[in-house]
Amino acid sequence: MAFEPVLLRNVGKPGVRQVAGYREAGGYKGLEKALGMEPDAVIEEVKASGLRGRGGAGFPAGLKWSFIPKGNDKPKYLVCNADESEPGTFKDRILMEQDPQQLIEGCAICCWAVSANTCYIYIRGEYVEQAEILEEAIRDAYANGILGDDVMGSGFKLDMYVHRGAGAYICGEETGMLESLEGRRGQPRIKPPFPAVVGAFGCPTVINNVETLCNVPHILERGADWYKSIGTDERNTGPKLYCVSGHVEKPGTYEFPIGVTMNQLIDTCGGMWRGAKLKAFIPGGASAAILPAKHADLPLDFDQLAKAGSMLGSAAVIVMDENTDIVRAVHRLAKFFNHESCGQCTPCREGTNWSELVLKKILAGKGNPGDAELILRICRNMGGTTLCALADAAVGPLRSLVQNFPEEIAAWIDNGGAGAEPRRYFAEEVLV
Amino acid sequence: MPTVTIDGREVEVEVGTNLIEAAKKVGIQIPHYCYHPRLSIVGQCRMCLVKIEGPPKLQTACTTQVMKDGMVVHIDIPEVHKAQEGVMEFLLINHPLDCPICDQAGECGLQDYSFKHGQAFSRFVFEEKRTYPGRERIPLGPSVVLNMNRCIQCTRCIRFTEEISGTGELGFFERGARTEIGVFPGKELDNPLSANVVDICPVGALTSREFRFAERVWYLDKKPSICTGCDVGCNVTAEHRRGAIKRYKPRFNPEVNDYWMCDYGRGTFRRYEELERLGTPAIAENGEQRPATWNDAIDRVHQSISQAPESAELAFLGTGFLTTEEAFLIARLADAAASPHRGVASEEGPTRTIPNLHGGISGSETSPNRRGAELAGLVAGDGGLGAAELMQGDGASRCDFLLVADGDPGSPLHDSEVVARLRQARLLVVMGWASTPLTEVADVVLPTATHAEKDGTFVNCESRLQRFRAAFPSPAGVRPAVEALADLLGRLHPDWRGLSTAQVFDRMAADLPTLAGLTFEELPAHGVELQAPAAVVGGGTPPAEDAHP
Repeated sequence: MAFEPVLLRNVGKPGVRQVAGYREAGGYKGLEKALGMEPDAVIEEVKASGLRGRGGAGFPAGLKWSFIPKGNDKPKYLVCNADESEPGTFKDRILMEQDPQQLIEGCAICCWAVSANTCYIYIRGEYVEQAEILEEAIRDAYANGILGDDVMGSGFKLDMYVHRGAGAYICGEETGMLESLEGRRGQPRIKPPFPAVVGAFGCPTVINNVETLCNVPHILERGADWYKSIGTDERNTGPKLYCVSGHVEKPGTYEFPIGVTMNQLIDTCGGMWRGAKLKAFIPGGASAAILPAKHADLPLDFDQLAKAGSMLGSAAVIVMDENTDIVRAVHRLAKFFNHESCGQCTPCREGTNWSELVLKKILAGKGNPGDAELILRICRNMGGTTLCALADAAVGPLRSLVQNFPEEIAAWIDNGGAGAEPRRYFAEEVLV
Repeated sequence: MPTVTIDGREVEVEVGTNLIEAAKKVGIQIPHYCYHPRLSIVGQCRMCLVKIEGPPKLQTACTTQVMKDGMVVHIDIPEVHKAQEGVMEFLLINHPLDCPICDQAGECGLQDYSFKHGQAFSRFVFEEKRTYPGRERIPLGPSVVLNMNRCIQCTRCIRFTEEISGTGELGFFERGARTEIGVFPGKELDNPLSANVVDICPVGALTSREFRFAERVWYLDKKPSICTGCDVGCNVTAEHRRGAIKRYKPRFNPEVNDYWMCDYGRGTFRRYEELERLGTPAIAENGEQRPATWNDAIDRVHQSISQAPESAELAFLGTGFLTTEEAFLIARLADAAASPHRGVASEEGPTRTIPNLHGGISGSETSPNRRGAELAGLVAGDGGLGAAELMQGDGASRCDFLLVADGDPGSPLHDSEVVARLRQARLLVVMGWASTPLTEVADVVLPTATHAEKDGTFVNCESRLQRFRAAFPSPAGVRPAVEALADLLGRLHPDWRGLSTAQVFDRMAADLPTLAGLTFEELPAHGVELQAPAAVVGGGTPPAEDAHP
């Protein structure tokens, strides 16, 4: 049975950015149904669906919502994480520009479930067009009684704001985002307390990714059982957007039941670029370990990838063919993390910098035999020692370079790059 | 209270105590840079990683609070040592290691922890470390210089200006490995407490403009003392080399100045450099001062008192710079001369406020011990001349004898009009350490010790009695005032001869109900709050409710 797109079903349909068009396409049934339910029942439904966060960590969404303390006088907030800044990720962008009402509906359901009357959509600064589309859609939702003092006639009050970021990867980390939202320097906070207890403006806050929230209307409308029937197993349920980039003929955002394999994705993308062979792929964005081609038949879901030593992350699948120089690709990623480390924790601030320097030195033909070991030791000192997960993210590609592609790094160190095979192009020229 | 086990040692702590403080209680130091007991906790430096049984990863001790019984913490284990080594290595790879020319060397957190937790070799093999060209010696304000190359981004200074001084001049700029600290555009690190950032900076990034290159710190002798800048009475360490004070640093006293002191107070030792020191006693004959021996000078004063006719008026004027013991001896002299004419010269100055956990402490007098001197008895008796009559009125012209003791520069005693009035006394005896307009016109000059050269007590604006000790001996020819006064008094009453400051204090404590039960040697380290009658000892400025955030 062919898979019917769920999240992307409205892509390209005229008029769906407006409430009227979205309704015509079947929208706002989930919110209507949710408003007729007890908030706790909504949370239970989402829990039952097995929906896991699509932002990268894969934390169960319903469970996260249930952490919001009840009987607390403080206002509660939903912050939608639209700071899509993981390199290779471009799924939230499609969702926001093609079907903004779907996101508004998902946010509204979440707000109802956790009794939040205010929702912020924190969108990355570079998404100028998407921010404008969202604002237009929010205006239309206010005009049609979806937002405002009386959401769909239920008496529930909900305000929604678009907040534009200023260009920092770290503001995609949930507490860094809260700092930025509050007008401070974007750097992660100490956890605990977790945002569910002390979040935006010191109040209980749910933070969910755009794609996570876009799943919610469908869960409410069609039920948790239907949702669970999609995917590899009960821990990996629902539809998933895969952002395929790199050496394939037709890169783009593709929707599949969670757990599609690399080979299936390549086929869907029209095969490898110019028919070359697959050498490696990053399954989940810049933070994920690079896997060699032998894993191409692995279902790309949370647990299988974790078992393989990588992660689904944001499902930004970066495909590298046989002509890719993995060392250069990893150097580019190390440069990214060095640029984006917020600088507060010592291991991340210094480790991301040092690791980039080591790779740069290797690429300048000045590598030493001990450098692979050195990279691993930098990784060991960086990983798990910091406030947030950025250092762990930086460790992902570095460690996989040494562990999964030892021959690549050895070729550079032994021959100073001179003996390495001629390369037509490098990953850094393809990664945008 | 919950119990936590740290490296096998159990300690009971209050709920919410963090692990660094809990470990301190059992004598275990958890290394840290960004943590400071009075600043918000940021958990950034990652130096305090420890193993807590339960969570898989190491946790920062500063951010971990003991909430309930049963937490088990390991510090002295290889896993933690490796983490400490790792953080040290990260901190050092881009640190200039210019210790030979760095002011912080000898009291540097990086140096100390390198020895204790670091490794002796470097795997960082690049020619160039990260530098901040042009930011090696940036004056951030009147008191502080920044060398960004040495900064380890602990943000203590930033948090100090945000949370303690409340002025917020400093911030983080840039990001990642290029992160730097600096003043916000158009601002200057110029607040009364600014130099404290130098003390809390664990490395040589922030240095004091006052102290820069003045002395290598390992040559300094460090002695506990009390600041004489105002009547707050900040506890300080007087750091000197061979009797030349090089700097004052705040000394922790939670009841007074906590960890801090003001920039003005730090500079007060300069008076010992700027003013000419009195070296020998002098006696004036026919209007000209000639050097004299101590014995002759004391004799002269003694005779003036003992041989004064019944009708003679003798007056005794002290200042707020006297120690309580000195004031007590002068009051005893006045008693011996049966004189009601006595007073303490003091002056209101700018209000200086030091934040502490009790809402801050504010002093507004220019001398440290007006209250102590008055408590000791330098208050005019019935019909007696007080400080105001002697200095502002024509009281001195009625005096046959006037002893003025210990006026520091800045004291109102050196105003030319005041000097002229005091000079109207028929015999003017001046005790002090510096050559001032008043000593120049005196009939007898007695050179005495500076406060750094003597023991004593001060009573501050909140009536707290605090003890301090001599940091170094007086130069030859100079005697501590207590010694000189005991000598003088001993010629009138032999049982006062040769008394030490401690003995004087103990006699005073026996005399004054306010000091009942106290002995000099057993005064508590943080001082004693005196239950003083308000008429004698001023109550001080009531602390503001929310002066401390």
